[in-house]
Amino acid sequence: MAALEIDNVRKVFGGKTEVLKGINISIENGEFLILVGPSGCGKSTLMNSIAGLESITDGQIRIGGEDVSGRSPKDRDIAMVFQSYALYPSMNVRDNIAFGLEMRKVPKEDRLNEVNRVAKMLQIEHLLDRKPSQLSGGQRQRVAMGRALARKPKIYLFDEPLSNLDAKLRVEMRTEIKKLHQNLGTTIVYVTHDQIEAMTLADRIAVMKDGIVQQFGTPQEIYDEPANIFVAGFMGSPAMNFIPAPIQKEQGQLVAKVTTAGGQTYSLPLGKRGENLEKYEGRKVILGVRPERISEVNITEVEREDVVVVKTKTEIVEPTGPDTLIHITLNGVEVGCRVAPDSAVKAGEDMEFMVDLSKAVFFDSETEARI
Amino acid sequence: MSAEEPLQTAKQSSGLLQRIEHWIPKVVVAPTFIMMLVFIYGYIIWTGVLSATNSRFLPSYDFVGGLQYEKLFENPRWETAYTNLALFGGLFIAICLFIGVTLAILLDQKIRREGVLRTIYLYPMALSFIVTGTAWKWMLNPGLGLEKLVQDMGFENFSFDWIVDPDMAIYTLVIAAVWQSSGFVMAMFLAGLRGIDNSIIQAAQMDGASMPRIYWRIIVPCLRPVFFSAFIILSHIAIKSFDLVMAMTGGGPGYATDLPATFMYAHSFTRSSIGLGAASAMLMLGGVLAILIPYLYSELRGTRNG
Amino acid sequence: MVNHHMAQRTWGFWINRGIIHALLISAALFYLLPLVVMLLTSFKTMDDIRAGNLISFPAEFVIEPWIKAWSSACTGVKCEGVGSYFFNSVQIVVPAVLISTALGAINGYVLTKWRFRGSELFFGLLLFGCFIPFQVVLLPMAQTLGWLGIANTTTGLVLVHVAYGVAFTTLFFRNFYVNIPSELVKAAQLDGAGFFKIFWRILLPISGPIIVVTIIWQTTQIWNDFLFGVVYGSGETQPITVALNNLVNTSTGVKEYNVHMAAAIIAGLPTLLVYVLAGKYFVRGLTAGSVKG
Repeated sequence: MAALEIDNVRKVFGGKTEVLKGINISIENGEFLILVGPSGCGKSTLMNSIAGLESITDGQIRIGGEDVSGRSPKDRDIAMVFQSYALYPSMNVRDNIAFGLEMRKVPKEDRLNEVNRVAKMLQIEHLLDRKPSQLSGGQRQRVAMGRALARKPKIYLFDEPLSNLDAKLRVEMRTEIKKLHQNLGTTIVYVTHDQIEAMTLADRIAVMKDGIVQQFGTPQEIYDEPANIFVAGFMGSPAMNFIPAPIQKEQGQLVAKVTTAGGQTYSLPLGKRGENLEKYEGRKVILGVRPERISEVNITEVEREDVVVVKTKTEIVEPTGPDTLIHITLNGVEVGCRVAPDSAVKAGEDMEFMVDLSKAVFFDSETEARI
Repeated sequence: MSAEEPLQTAKQSSGLLQRIEHWIPKVVVAPTFIMMLVFIYGYIIWTGVLSATNSRFLPSYDFVGGLQYEKLFENPRWETAYTNLALFGGLFIAICLFIGVTLAILLDQKIRREGVLRTIYLYPMALSFIVTGTAWKWMLNPGLGLEKLVQDMGFENFSFDWIVDPDMAIYTLVIAAVWQSSGFVMAMFLAGLRGIDNSIIQAAQMDGASMPRIYWRIIVPCLRPVFFSAFIILSHIAIKSFDLVMAMTGGGPGYATDLPATFMYAHSFTRSSIGLGAASAMLMLGGVLAILIPYLYSELRGTRNG
Repeated sequence: MVNHHMAQRTWGFWINRGIIHALLISAALFYLLPLVVMLLTSFKTMDDIRAGNLISFPAEFVIEPWIKAWSSACTGVKCEGVGSYFFNSVQIVVPAVLISTALGAINGYVLTKWRFRGSELFFGLLLFGCFIPFQVVLLPMAQTLGWLGIANTTTGLVLVHVAYGVAFTTLFFRNFYVNIPSELVKAAQLDGAGFFKIFWRILLPISGPIIVVTIIWQTTQIWNDFLFGVVYGSGETQPITVALNNLVNTSTGVKEYNVHMAAAIIAGLPTLLVYVLAGKYFVRGLTAGSVKG
């Protein structure tokens, strides 16, 4: 059964600004949905609409098959973890976790049992008597999650829950949330602007921009087959390279032409991906190649027919530890390449790169949609 | 998720209940809203209406147009009142600002007993103007007050009788008002000084500027908003000044120290010319607005600019 | 503060410090002088006052001026001291402060956490009420109190002080609550709490500081009020500021300065005490009340 169905939801502020322009999303019980996008894309509004903290102008939101669009937040059977945690400052951790149960008139004894169960699960038993102000960021985060867990709602909403934590803690908590989701099989809707969080946590991702879902799919689908340039550029770090390239036919095969800064021109075979590009012959398309697909020459792969070796001058060399990023220029645009640290040369020197086109994607240069 | 029954009851509030919930916030502020409409805006209009009538001992509603305002401007006592206000207000504001900013800067020099001094400077603000007026009236008593104190110190010919001198009495009000309010202005400036980023001062020191120069060129200009707010508050106090005059001089000698506020009180409540009193009140409101509106305008513009 | 501790500790440095301290201390004397004079005078006999000067020490300490000020000095027609008026003021201050603070708190809550169409306009209009010169409402209010049958009663004065205090209290609470994250309210809503529950359980428990500031501000304002007291109170129901003014300015015969000073200190004592005990909150209120948020 669908746990959450968002059906053609629109939201208009003040009669003119349309923040959500017809959103359609549906997830199954136990799925982890991530809403991701740049700030102002409408993801937080959508989350607040699911929670009932904001009303929607049009459309329907169904939780467990029931239309909840007109219901107040407390009647929707959802719990939310906020970016600022929103722990009640005057209450200790125990009361914070129990407050929702108290409001729903759960007997005191059951409340305490529930608090203890949740505290044990999150390993915050020793913190129960503390006030939120006496907790560290990570501890607050756990308490906020505990407060949601105690309620056992149909759906959990997470609103950028990790963005106030430092980098190391963020990774730890990310794993923790994933573990929790796997163990409890809960249905989660999670808002973030961090594409790594989206990739690592989600069963399904909805990439949003300008109040529209640009793409809705599994993380791998979104990474490998982005619907348009925006999605391709937003997901993945360092970002995908977009190289405007003319399509030509050479020896009965479609190729994309690229020219290095030194003036050397190469033909990149499109292989089976090129099947849809027939009608683009003689025109420019945007070739999308992720940096990890432009690497140092590797003898075992260099023989493949969708691989081309390009030699050009390196412009900037940025070691990151596990690998080194090198910037080169192709067709007048800057292109990032990810190479093994040992094979990196000094900036300004020439180097041979192996361009792997097996996962390359092509975008229409006008509509920016994937071809 | 465990299969056990969810802990909360799935009861939903009916549509009616939700509508009531929607109205609660408005119902809650309604009393204040009504009070505001009646007691502030309604009454301002009412006073405006009264100012256009010939009301004397009791309000009447025989309209006489702008007659009361004409009478007001022909009234020498009103002329005294607003000239006094200009004199009193101007001096009071200028001296308070000067003392306030000076004390604040001096106090900001890492003074060991700063807390004690601050407490001393500020305590008059806790007192009623009536108490302040009573105290200063005694201090300025010709014969037994400061005059005698200085004479006892050996200056036998010293004379200080401003409070009974029609030409000078207004300045005694300034002294008392400054005594009461300047500490508060100091507190505002001190807060402003403490809000200035220390690294600005350090940078200026690196540039080789001397401390007085740093204060004059960098820090005091940073305090512009404080000057502005203090000016508004002080002029507001000045326009409303009533208690102090009543306690110290009662508007006298004669009506030499009348201010608009005492003029309004006297005509409305003791001299049975309510119409004239209402007209003077409307002009006081006008005076406040003339200062307030540019201030609010610049404030709002300031916040919009970030 | 480069080299502040080494190079600058020359003669010039110490002379500077000396001048600064001298200025600060003379300012302190200026502010303290009236209080000292009041205290000294209030313990002197009238003969002592005539013989000495403002800061001369009492030849003998007498307590009579205080007793007289409290219980038998003439404040106009009556000669019963300012004692009963002191309690009038208490009777006005306590309910007026409590009611206006409560209204301000709930208003501030609505204006920040339950905004509705027009709520900003409402606040703007209310804010204006902080600035009007009260002379512009004196006459209509006098007539209204007469119609309501509470002219010349402390109840009437309570109403007046609530009506014109609520703008300030609302401003205080609004500016405090606006900095409390709205997510707290959202979280409580999701937890199933309603309008009043959220206020009572979530916001009020963290409002301690602003409640103190508001109560102190309102207490000082209302205790020190003279204008409303002199216009709307009469005889028996006047607050102490009016009684003090009558004592000092309308009494006939020999002016008893010692009694005047004792009465003035009595009138100033409660607010002075508040200032000494809770100075931090007092200053915060002054700044908050005058510099609009």
